[in-house]
Amino acid sequence: MRHVGRSRVIALFTVAVLATVAAACGSSSSTKTTTPSAAGSSLTISNESGTTWTCGFNPFNPSVYGLSFGTVYEELTFVNSLKSGAATPWLASSYTWSNANKTLTFTIRSGVKWSDGTAFSAKDVLFTFDMLKKFPALDLNAVWSVLSGVAQVGSDQVAFNFKTSAVPYFYYIADETPIVPEHIWGSIANPVTYNDSSPIGTGPYTMHACTSADVTYTKNPSYWQPGLPKIQTVYYPSFTSNDPANELLATGGAQWGSQFIPSIQSYYLSKSSNFHDWFPPVANVSIFMNLTNPVLAQLPVRRAMAYAIDRPKVSELGEYGYEPASNQTDIVKPTFSSWYDSSQAASYDYTYDPSRAKSILQQAGYTEKNGVFQTPKGPLSFSIINIGGYSDWVASVSVIETELKAVGISITPDNLASSVFDTDLYTGKYQLGYNSESGGPSPYYELRQLLYSANSAPLGQPAATDWERYSNPQTDALINQYGATTSPATQQSIVDKLELVMLKEVPVIPMTEEVDWYQYDTANIAGWATPSDPYAQPGAYDVPDIGVMLLHLYPKS
Amino acid sequence: MRYIARRTAFFVFTLWAAVTVNFVIPRLMPGNPALAMIARYKHVTPAELASLEVLFGVKTHASLVSEYFEYLANISRGRFGISYTFFPETVSHEVLQAIPWTLCLVGVTTILAFLLGTLIGLVSAWRRGGWLDSILPPIFVITSAFPYFWIALLAVWLFSIKLNWLPLFGGYSIGDTPGWHWHFVVDALEHSILPASTILVTAIGGWILTMRNNVISVLDEDYVRMARAKGLKPWTVMWGYAGRNAILPNLTGFAMSLGFVVSGAILVEYVFNYPGVGWMLLDAVFNEDYPLMQALFLLITLAVLTAVLLADVVTALLDARTRDLV
Repeated sequence: MRHVGRSRVIALFTVAVLATVAAACGSSSSTKTTTPSAAGSSLTISNESGTTWTCGFNPFNPSVYGLSFGTVYEELTFVNSLKSGAATPWLASSYTWSNANKTLTFTIRSGVKWSDGTAFSAKDVLFTFDMLKKFPALDLNAVWSVLSGVAQVGSDQVAFNFKTSAVPYFYYIADETPIVPEHIWGSIANPVTYNDSSPIGTGPYTMHACTSADVTYTKNPSYWQPGLPKIQTVYYPSFTSNDPANELLATGGAQWGSQFIPSIQSYYLSKSSNFHDWFPPVANVSIFMNLTNPVLAQLPVRRAMAYAIDRPKVSELGEYGYEPASNQTDIVKPTFSSWYDSSQAASYDYTYDPSRAKSILQQAGYTEKNGVFQTPKGPLSFSIINIGGYSDWVASVSVIETELKAVGISITPDNLASSVFDTDLYTGKYQLGYNSESGGPSPYYELRQLLYSANSAPLGQPAATDWERYSNPQTDALINQYGATTSPATQQSIVDKLELVMLKEVPVIPMTEEVDWYQYDTANIAGWATPSDPYAQPGAYDVPDIGVMLLHLYPKS
Repeated sequence: MRYIARRTAFFVFTLWAAVTVNFVIPRLMPGNPALAMIARYKHVTPAELASLEVLFGVKTHASLVSEYFEYLANISRGRFGISYTFFPETVSHEVLQAIPWTLCLVGVTTILAFLLGTLIGLVSAWRRGGWLDSILPPIFVITSAFPYFWIALLAVWLFSIKLNWLPLFGGYSIGDTPGWHWHFVVDALEHSILPASTILVTAIGGWILTMRNNVISVLDEDYVRMARAKGLKPWTVMWGYAGRNAILPNLTGFAMSLGFVVSGAILVEYVFNYPGVGWMLLDAVFNEDYPLMQALFLLITLAVLTAVLLADVVTALLDARTRDLV
């Protein structure tokens, strides 16, 4: 699920020039590619990482884990975010909840070996989690914020004890934590700064060679899943900019793409009948409204804004239609459609309606002066912070600006460098902000990131994910309640109530749906994830999904 | 000699000033690199933020003055710390990995552009109105006026995509291992043809134009007329009298551009995904990677200052007048 980075375009103009030129030139049958020729036995990934490789593979370092987690290191249980969190046993052959959902016990698979030949056991799992406790900087998902202890039970079981029941943390423990070998990591003094240049894992691949320009993986011959993987060699070149990465894809030099391609129809899809794309949405990009601002704290203002913006238009003009329009419930469709409460959504009906937006403002007693509504707390005139380097977000916000202006709300885009943007957003030094959450394997994760007051912080302090500073004890209670249940029916009813919070209180306004960028070439390789078989998140930067993807792929000949 | 001594003193002073500015500027920039890190990776909590900040040394409580002296001590020993972007690698490791590529590509093309440009400028001024003079300078002046990325993208389209003669991008083939063996060197050379020739085509025009103008004005000087009157061979007059004097103003410019070689060529690296330092510098700025930024800026300053000092020495050797200046 985790993304190493958003594949966005910093200097779109060069891409656009080449796209036009390349589109005009038409066919590109056999290009002198920089990749080794391969009839399916090898695969090249083209993912604009925005950086060159350091040849470090520490799976707990967020800058590089995309290069080792899933391929070299593996998880206990694979959780598929595209199938509402469907679990597949992985290094753990099974798991059970007990003790009123406060104990999670994994049975560790036997017969698994580390790639150096040492046997893998429950001790390695225990060691990994103990290490996360000892070095909080490694605990990227803060699992020790809910755990009270981890212990080995018998020879092949590991039991996780929780302070209070926190069922959703199953995802972070089982799917998002790479298991590392005790016989190697046990002797490392500081695993935080360890660069792990020759990683030893249980995964389908071993790191064969690395330069700053490319990582080459080869098949792990003693992999525990018999007969797998079928792709012998995987090349993962580094790209600091979009266009070379896109060129490699469009000329067939790379078979798996994971980035933004402008005018994808003419630039990529039309080049070969074997070229395909699919952009499954996973989370929302939203307008965050600083609720500590007295003007924005007024509900009619937020409701009017939600009605005033034509989301499909933002998607079409700002995101080339690649990222679909969101809805006010915050449920990402179609990925999480089963969670969507259509009757509630219909009763609030946040479809685009500028005249309704205006009438809400008028009914609240606000008056229009020089085209901008005035409230007792101040005029509806705000600045909106955004990341200047994300050209699609900048375009989206300028559409939003026009839409709001039409109903008497004036916003001024403030396009910032990402580090300044982050500081302002996290510490609450903004009026409106445009950003996305990371989401998770069910809509609950994003709703929790948005609405849980523990994720907020006083102004001036960095808030984890509740950047708008929403806080409501009743909502907190709902979120905690979800943590204590494994019953799908109860979970559904809680998410319904959280959707109602989104509709009724409008704490944030979801705009477009963040997608996984994914292009693939079926000429020599088959087994790709498709909308009808979404077995894993298909972005090459999604971990540990990259490992699941590679295990499904096979040469056609 | 006094001239050289003065230039050296100036060199030392400028270096100190640059080193100090280099220390101050990153600290005046807004934002916080540890926060930027969490935003990129989302799952980091405020508690972990604190540990990241300590790790990166952004919230140490040392005073600015003591930080400054520690900084001076560290850079004199070549210690630039850990890069934020390439964590946990050291800055030196990352820079050393990228700089050979930049030196080879940009360094060689800068020297080549200067030599070729000067030669063409000299010859075309010497045979003013000849066929060479009416063809080469106009062509290269036009190509120099094009934006670099446009020329580069056109070259990629023509030679890599359309004609399929040269590789699309990169310093070497995917899956190749760098090393001093024949196969790799040929591969790297093949990959450098497009970036090198596009740099050459866009950089050469300036040298041609200035050299040609300088030679034309020098040709009217009395000493050239004198040399011709003495019956010296035209070859000797062209090189020893016209060329030697006309090149002087260009030397400092050449030294400057040599110095800037280490700053890389951002657009070249962008278009060709070339593993040099230009892109690294850009990325360091985006990520507020102070240690990496400081190391690269220092390197550039040092290179430019050294090159200018060398140019002063060469000028003193070539031009007797500067030696007499007090």
